[in-house]
Amino acid sequence: MFENKHNWKGYLYLAPALILILIFIIYPLFNTFLTSFKENYQFMTGEYDGFSIQHYMDVFKSSKFKVAFKNTMILTIISVPVSIVIALLISVGLNSIKRLQGFLQTIFFLPYVTNVIAIGLVFQFMFNHNYGIINTVIGWFGIGPVHWMDAYASYGEAMAVIIIYSIWSSLPFKIMVFLSGLQTIDKQYYQAAQIDATPKWRVFLRITVPLLSPMIMYITITSFMGAFKTYEHVLSLFGDGGTAGDPGNLKTMVWYIYEALDSSKKGSVAVASASAVVLFIVIMIFTAIQMYINKKRVHY
Amino acid sequence: MEVRLEGLTKKFTDVVAVDNVSVVFPSGKLTGLLGPSGCGKSTTLFLLAGLYNPTEGKIFFGDEEVTEIPPEKRGIGLVFQNYALYPHMSVEKNIMFPLENMKMPKAEAKQIAYEMAKLVQIEELLDRKPKQLSGGQQQRVAIARALAKKPRVLLLDEPLSNLDARLRLQTREEIKRIQRETGITTIFVTHDQEEAMSISDQIIVMEKGIINQVDLPQKLYNDPINLFVAKFLGNPPINVVEAEIVNKVLVVNNKKTIKVDLPNQKVKLGFRPEDVRIDPNGPLEANIYMVEMVGRDTSILCTINNEKIRGIIDSEIEVNVGDNIKFDLRKQRFYLFEYNTGARLR
Ligand SMILES: Nc1ncnc2c1ncn2[C@@H]1O[C@H](COP(=O)(O)OP(=O)(O)OP(=O)(O)O)[C@@H](O)[C@H]1O
Ligand SMILES: [Mg+2]
Repeated sequence: MFENKHNWKGYLYLAPALILILIFIIYPLFNTFLTSFKENYQFMTGEYDGFSIQHYMDVFKSSKFKVAFKNTMILTIISVPVSIVIALLISVGLNSIKRLQGFLQTIFFLPYVTNVIAIGLVFQFMFNHNYGIINTVIGWFGIGPVHWMDAYASYGEAMAVIIIYSIWSSLPFKIMVFLSGLQTIDKQYYQAAQIDATPKWRVFLRITVPLLSPMIMYITITSFMGAFKTYEHVLSLFGDGGTAGDPGNLKTMVWYIYEALDSSKKGSVAVASASAVVLFIVIMIFTAIQMYINKKRVHY
Repeated sequence: MEVRLEGLTKKFTDVVAVDNVSVVFPSGKLTGLLGPSGCGKSTTLFLLAGLYNPTEGKIFFGDEEVTEIPPEKRGIGLVFQNYALYPHMSVEKNIMFPLENMKMPKAEAKQIAYEMAKLVQIEELLDRKPKQLSGGQQQRVAIARALAKKPRVLLLDEPLSNLDARLRLQTREEIKRIQRETGITTIFVTHDQEEAMSISDQIIVMEKGIINQVDLPQKLYNDPINLFVAKFLGNPPINVVEAEIVNKVLVVNNKKTIKVDLPNQKVKLGFRPEDVRIDPNGPLEANIYMVEMVGRDTSILCTINNEKIRGIIDSEIEVNVGDNIKFDLRKQRFYLFEYNTGARLR
């Protein structure tokens, strides 16, 4: 009875955003999906010879795609959980100190405001075979020197650098979200836990983590999405996307998509579209799995 | 087990929240810690719990000094003002949590959780989450959790302040019952004098970090040590009128009234509304400006030389607004306080 009869006003306010989303997200998404099935598609003229799943077959058969898929999976599966755990511990640490909190917060936040390429350069210095600080430090323990990023680096060494880089550069945002989450947790839960003689690790696992679970879920989902789309990290560290003797062996899925587009071959856009759809589906599956797990675990 | 504070002081950066407090909480009794907002009640409780470290002074549990002992080793149960139940755990898990910390076997912890739930009469709610409970039920869960580990002392910080009036009455009786059944030394913080009076074996009245009076509830009411305590206890509150002692006679509003054996000085006269008794030969005089019928009694609001007082009289007596009445005080019950400090004159 008291319902607003002028609902159209609401849509009017939403219209600018909706139109932009339609043009730049929904339409390209739909178009990419369609294009991925077009045979002999010519981007300039828009001509094609009908639909088939040929491009998908090509993508799955492509050894380059397999490498890119493997790299992306390794990078994601390792860097996301590790960075979440590290970010959690750092946030809890930061939240529990009073002095230097602001200063340390700034330090942890630096990667967020620093240029990706510049960090890539810094990493090249740090991981330098001869005079890099990393080799110096592990040298004290009798390890190394490790090649890491130079011309003789192995796949594993190079991947380690990429993973470290991904973890490090993704920390600030996670820490920021976790810290703000921690600050909303009522102090009394911790006082109650203290009076009940709760060991520190149990306080962390049984109180902090559950009460932070909405944030953790949000971070997990967005981090997986982000990690699957990794491209610029590898590019800034290894310009050619490969270790010596094995060119391109570090390339990621987004890199593969980008290269597929780049080639002047007939139908390349369609192949790129097909690989993009594959990536899209992989991300969808991962997100769905997490949603399912989180539904059971997350406490709101 | 008796709890004793000796010269306990807690200073925060700009306030002395607890100021040189020495008091005994008798063993097995329920002590009410009463005072207005900000007087240092919670701080005292947190000092007892060990969540705050005192600036000075000592705390004893029985013969053992616990001042330096951390909260987890003091063996206390604390019910927070807003319960602090873990929102993601069921009622059962909440009650079991302190027991699991003590590495008690799960079956035993479950059994105790059930017994505690039964004690506070929430045994059918064990599977619920705190959010699915009413305020009163949450409060009982909090008590059950605090009692589960068999604490030496139970501390309750304004546990009833979030409840509605009816539930408040009900639960305070409940607390009294549980305290009696367990015989545990209990300290109950409140700013509600009626609550403190009804539930406590002993009341401590605090003001600005200082203890004013420690006494039995009725004694506190009948024999306040100063004007603050007199004003704080009783509803409707005590009447206070300016007066002067001249040659052993109390002069109120320029009229000689009652004989008192005290030296000449300005004083404040206090008397309870229920002690007002209309009497044509009475020594005191007032002018009625309002009459309220409250059931069996009539409440008359009067002025004595522009100071407002209230009297509760039998409704059989006919009074009208504008009347000048004379009255006496039942059993000669009145209190004189030093004009400036408010200290009781006897
Ligand atoms: N952590 C703190 N830091 C600084 N000042 C504090 C702190 N806790 C309490 N105070 C101050 O100490 C005084 C006593 O506070 P306390 O919380 O003990 O009062 P209270 O009697 O419990 O009041 P209420 O009935 O409102 O809960 C207040 O002036 C308060 O502002
Ligand atoms: Mg308080």
